[in-house]
Amino acid sequence: MVILDLMRLTATLADGATGEVRIESAADRELAERWCARSGNTVVGTDVDSSGAGTLTVRRGHPPDPRQVLGPDRMPGARLWMYTNFHCNLACDYCCVASSPRTPHRELGADRIARLAREAADWGVHEIFLTGGEPFLLADIGTIVRSCAELLPTTVLTNAMVFKGRGRRALESIPRDRVALQISLDSATPGGHDAHRGSGSWAKAVEGIRLAMSLGFRVRVAATVAAPPPGALAAFHTFLDSLGIAPDDQVVRPIAQQGVAAKGQILTRASLVPEITVTAEGVYWHPVAATDERALVTRQVEPLTPALDEIARSFAEQWARAAKAAELFPCA
Amino acid sequence: MSEPLIVGAVAYTPNVVPIWEGIRTYFAESGDPDTAMDFVLYSNYGRLVQSLLAGHIDIAWNTNLAYVRTVMQTDGHCTALAQRDTDVGFTTVFVARSGSGLSGAHAIAGKRLALGSADSAHAAILPMHYLGLAGVPAADMAIIRFDTDIGKHGDTGRSELDAVEAVLSGDADVAAIGVTTWDAMGREELMPDALEVVWQTEGYCHCMFTALDTLAPDRYTPWLDTLLAMDWDNPAHRKILELEGLQRWVRPHLDGYKPLFAAVEEQGIDPRW
Repeated sequence: MVILDLMRLTATLADGATGEVRIESAADRELAERWCARSGNTVVGTDVDSSGAGTLTVRRGHPPDPRQVLGPDRMPGARLWMYTNFHCNLACDYCCVASSPRTPHRELGADRIARLAREAADWGVHEIFLTGGEPFLLADIGTIVRSCAELLPTTVLTNAMVFKGRGRRALESIPRDRVALQISLDSATPGGHDAHRGSGSWAKAVEGIRLAMSLGFRVRVAATVAAPPPGALAAFHTFLDSLGIAPDDQVVRPIAQQGVAAKGQILTRASLVPEITVTAEGVYWHPVAATDERALVTRQVEPLTPALDEIARSFAEQWARAAKAAELFPCA
Repeated sequence: MSEPLIVGAVAYTPNVVPIWEGIRTYFAESGDPDTAMDFVLYSNYGRLVQSLLAGHIDIAWNTNLAYVRTVMQTDGHCTALAQRDTDVGFTTVFVARSGSGLSGAHAIAGKRLALGSADSAHAAILPMHYLGLAGVPAADMAIIRFDTDIGKHGDTGRSELDAVEAVLSGDADVAAIGVTTWDAMGREELMPDALEVVWQTEGYCHCMFTALDTLAPDRYTPWLDTLLAMDWDNPAHRKILELEGLQRWVRPHLDGYKPLFAAVEEQGIDPRW
């Protein structure tokens, strides 16, 4: 009898673990679902044939509240990522969206970004992240950042190497109180950083960090690191401390096997907690997969609300099925 | 600051670890250093009680049989501290196939009765005791025993499922199971065409935190007060309480162990089992 099988199964499962039971009919399935609902367990998968016979995958216990596990600031819809453009002054060999000086720009455009920011704020998004490509290559990046920051706290991701001339003037025009800069720096010394990003890029990035801090910006430094040698991360954090970067603003993330990265952490839609990402080509599940068709949610960028709703709904279903399988890929 | 109290328990499910880690965290976060505790897990209740008597642990999370065994081996020189609300008024339910027509204790006379593990108070020892009180001695039934998971005093529930399966397959007429197992199955609500209740015992007590009387009250009182303060309405506490199967901890109801003392004596249950 399926209830006895379920009781035998769940008695052996740790809370949150899953196991399978055999069912012989649709009636068995219905009874199993009723038993799970009553006993506080969860049917997370069904594989049955046309006769209703097959297996049920059952999770011991209820899925935990994702707000408690992830934190409210990481719930899907809390963050909106916008790829302002895809072209870049660098051609990093692990870039998750294959940006380079030769990459087609695919700009979202200042007007559209302003409309998207408004719609996102009305929907309930808490925070905006502007990324690329290199956003400071855009002539109107100052306007773009200001339009977002008027509505929501905004972070701009940059390599900090183009703060000269027009880029410097744009930087200086950006309000300091609701804007943070997230600057890429991979190592405490030039070697590790320049190996992926090009000779001389480390020194310019550090110069950019110092400039941004001198202008009064909150600076977060994000490193993309595959397999750091012993002591490298400690040295990196010591270096960032010496620059005055707050500990919470020192982010280290793995390389994702996306874009031009031949090796790296393999990420799938099913294994990622979504962070809604808009590019000129569509809405994506996560910024680390913003050119990956498998992560495409919809080609329709405006209005954004249907995509926000869809991602929230899909995540709720995914969470109920897997709960702890999804992981946070720390882009910021 | 005193040394942490060491609490012993039996690992009968993978969830015993998160339960006790959660309880330990609860005490650590209580803010009172005198309530600090750690835990040790044992594979069976015989070893748990032996360790309590040897002084390896301060408190044992005992089944009712392990509590009775502790009292008998110490000549009463032990202290009952607390139990779950669900340990008070525990009962044994006798179930048969739906439509069996069996009703009441006397209907079980002459039938094949499936019992759980011989060391399960609720699925083996007390069912026979209460049937005897009702005028149905063991000699009047064909007893079929499922001695699975001996040493864990029926905690796993596996032997009760074996007994129920015997009924469903026609190998037994009636099975004796704990009311918590019957609840977990979904009672008549989910079993309308499969099982029905023939008879149910009156209430008795199940598990009990037990210490030796050499443990001074000033050692266990802060811990006990903190235990009793766990709050079902606090989500962090509730997760632990749900896993352990209670809504609140309560002070001992010692009258609820009298039937088991009597059953152990009349059935000649080894006090060291």
